[in-house]
Amino acid sequence: MKTYRNLAGCVAVTAFAGVAPAFAETPPDTLVMARNIDAISTFDPAQIGEVVTNEIILNICDSLVAIDPEDESAVVPAIAKDWTVSEDGMKITFNLVDNAVFPSGNPVTAEDVAWSMQRVLKLGFGNAATLTEFGFVAENAEADFVAIDDTTFEMNLSRPYPTALILQAVASNRVANVLDSELLMGEEVDGDFGNGYLTTNSACVGPYALRQWNAGEAVVLEANENYHGTPPNVKRIIIRHVAEAQAQRLLLEQGDIDVARDLGAEDLRDLNENPDIEVASTPMHQLYYMGFNSADERFADDRVRLAFKYLMDYDGMADTVMAFLGMPRASVVPLGALGALDEAEGQPFSLDLEKAQSLLTEAGYGDGFSARLFIGTLPYASPIAQHVQENAAKVGIDLEIEQMANAQLFSAFRGREFDTIMLSWQTAVPHAHGMLSRHAVNPDNSEEAALTMFPTWRASWFSEDFNQRVDDALFERDEAKQIEMYKEIQRDHMQTGPFAYSFQLLDTAALSDSVKTWKWNAFRAYYPLIEKN
Amino acid sequence: MGGQVFRTVVSVSVTILGLLALTFFIGRLLPLDPVLAILGDDASQEAYDRMVVKLGLDKPLWEQFVTYVWNSLQFDFGTSLTSGRPVAEDILRVFPATLELATVAMILGTGLGIPLGVVAAANRDTWIDQVVRVVSLIGYSAPIFWLGLLGLTVFYAALGWVGPPGRIDIVFQYDLEVRTGLYLVDSAMAGRWDIFADVFSRIVLPASILAYGAMAYISRMTRSFMLEQLSQEYIIAAQAKGASRQSVIWRHAFPNIAVQLVTVVALSYAFLLEGAVLTETVFAWPGFGRYLTTALLRADMNAVLGCTMIVGLIFITLNLLSDVFYRVFDPRTR
Repeated sequence: MKTYRNLAGCVAVTAFAGVAPAFAETPPDTLVMARNIDAISTFDPAQIGEVVTNEIILNICDSLVAIDPEDESAVVPAIAKDWTVSEDGMKITFNLVDNAVFPSGNPVTAEDVAWSMQRVLKLGFGNAATLTEFGFVAENAEADFVAIDDTTFEMNLSRPYPTALILQAVASNRVANVLDSELLMGEEVDGDFGNGYLTTNSACVGPYALRQWNAGEAVVLEANENYHGTPPNVKRIIIRHVAEAQAQRLLLEQGDIDVARDLGAEDLRDLNENPDIEVASTPMHQLYYMGFNSADERFADDRVRLAFKYLMDYDGMADTVMAFLGMPRASVVPLGALGALDEAEGQPFSLDLEKAQSLLTEAGYGDGFSARLFIGTLPYASPIAQHVQENAAKVGIDLEIEQMANAQLFSAFRGREFDTIMLSWQTAVPHAHGMLSRHAVNPDNSEEAALTMFPTWRASWFSEDFNQRVDDALFERDEAKQIEMYKEIQRDHMQTGPFAYSFQLLDTAALSDSVKTWKWNAFRAYYPLIEKN
Repeated sequence: MGGQVFRTVVSVSVTILGLLALTFFIGRLLPLDPVLAILGDDASQEAYDRMVVKLGLDKPLWEQFVTYVWNSLQFDFGTSLTSGRPVAEDILRVFPATLELATVAMILGTGLGIPLGVVAAANRDTWIDQVVRVVSLIGYSAPIFWLGLLGLTVFYAALGWVGPPGRIDIVFQYDLEVRTGLYLVDSAMAGRWDIFADVFSRIVLPASILAYGAMAYISRMTRSFMLEQLSQEYIIAAQAKGASRQSVIWRHAFPNIAVQLVTVVALSYAFLLEGAVLTETVFAWPGFGRYLTTALLRADMNAVLGCTMIVGLIFITLNLLSDVFYRVFDPRTR
């Protein structure tokens, strides 16, 4: 028996003895945030296409102009200290600050601004769509983005697009983040404009600088001591990679981190009851929706698509699966955008099986049908899909759910190889046009056009009427009239549009009581404004 | 001897080539789009087509395969989409984290599993045997994800006995001079016992949980091998000679199961080195398994193929080593 007692003692000693570490609060000049940072793959503003790196880059890389922290629909100066618009609305001239310097020592000039915007078009990553949207093309990039002198930059438009909309797009879309052109041209390989170099480095100026990035471990940002603008309140931001929500919660409760960013509805609900923790949310301009392939005659019928909007208990889901993660929204334009329908009018649907059945019967599908439903890996995708599947079964529709990796999901959607699909879409402008230009407009529905950046094209849905109305609204100079036009488009889009929107997604963070100020909106989190107790 | 070496070399070469072919064609059959993973969902068709050409995906499959084999033989697996770095460099960075975790787990698992198995066999059908079997069964059947979270809740959050998830405190991360990539070793070599304590406090829980699973397997196998030996006639002869119980077990029976145990331990170690994905996820451990899983979910095919090759090589190497051990310990195989 003595042998066994020794053995048990060995286990205990090996596992635990003498390893109790000293746990400390996070340092007062450092904010420690837990987040899943798996998605980070580059620090090239032209290539970044996901929220985590977007948030980081906007804090380390100043843009020409920025979204106002106090009002997300307004734009404030950044590298540009002011700007003027020509009378015909075809030219915007920016006057730049003259005291900004890159970490390399190179001064920030208008040439850097022009080069940075030109390369977005020439590289042709997804972000280029923000510029092509407004008629900019790679072939004309040099003529459209021009450095007049060191501190004057000119943007030439092909049509008199609303200036506010262009500035919003530029402020939040990583297409005018000013890069150190001299440094990057020195790092260029095979005409990549320094894209390879930027996969692991940054080459710009902002309130913070990228000190360290270890994939799958952490990102460390240090306050830029030579920053020309207002210096940040907190000296260092550490973003620790913690993929598991439960682990994030434990770290937060133990005081080892200040902010947790990827918690699920259950955890957030519990933490909301904890007096030492604040759960903060901000609505994003991102909608979760169900798409239908209108190339299939069943889904080409407006009544069938409309029927699906009556197959979800929106409030029930908002209180459970989507608690702190999303709020019901059926309009194509998110709340907070210019021209958006108000909360009540923007969500007129509820679970109504009789209505759904009646619409299906009218459309000639009273006996129902079978279809596949593709979903991705978002944590709420499966419960929402199952909820719709259950209700669809009650009106005779047999939905077969297929869950897949997001890359596979996007591939199926872009390839028009789906029956129905659930995914999200985010617009980076607080303006009705941001969503309508992609979710109501389809310039050419032909297969050869391959307009894969338009979800309407992917859904094989085309309406000349919507194309025209969205364009008319965009160029309407009378703002009141323009807003009314946008509202009318939304009302019609809810009835006959290609998609069934269910939730406007929220960005949610759990903050420990060590965080005094946490400033964010739909487009960015403002690290320099963070304050700790 | 020369013939044996030649046969081994041929066998290993064919296995590696087969592995290369399998990983390559599975990679091409998977419905993942590496182009979209790079460009983003919003990219235009022209940009998409350009990237297809840049990645060489427009070339005939056989040509892609030849290039892949040639590059792989030079440990060039291309650039990872996930990190933007060469895959080989990434693997060199993440593998030590898994190696350290797996090695600590293996030491614990083997150190406990073998004695427990022997003790259970020597006390067959007694309460001791029953306890060992139940403990092993739990180790076998309890989901490791659940065990990890439970362990964190109890030992980190409630008792404060172990460190938080993560391999090292971020404050220390940039202080530690990395020589081997094994932080316990590096911190000890640098004489930084504060860092050593931090790293140890973080590795002990995930390693114990992994060790529990390994221990369950090893103890069950040990028990089974021992029972077989203890029923042999030479054991009865030894007992008849008056050999003590301890002597019969450890000096007569145990050496005869050592060879089989080498295979069991080698396989367990290989499985751990392959990357304990769930454990690494729960404990925010920047290891090989998590790297591979992330790569798979992000359609980072270069990284997936590179990692699969490494896993294959680990198994081949450990199999070769266990063959060598067999030859050393078991004269019948010479």
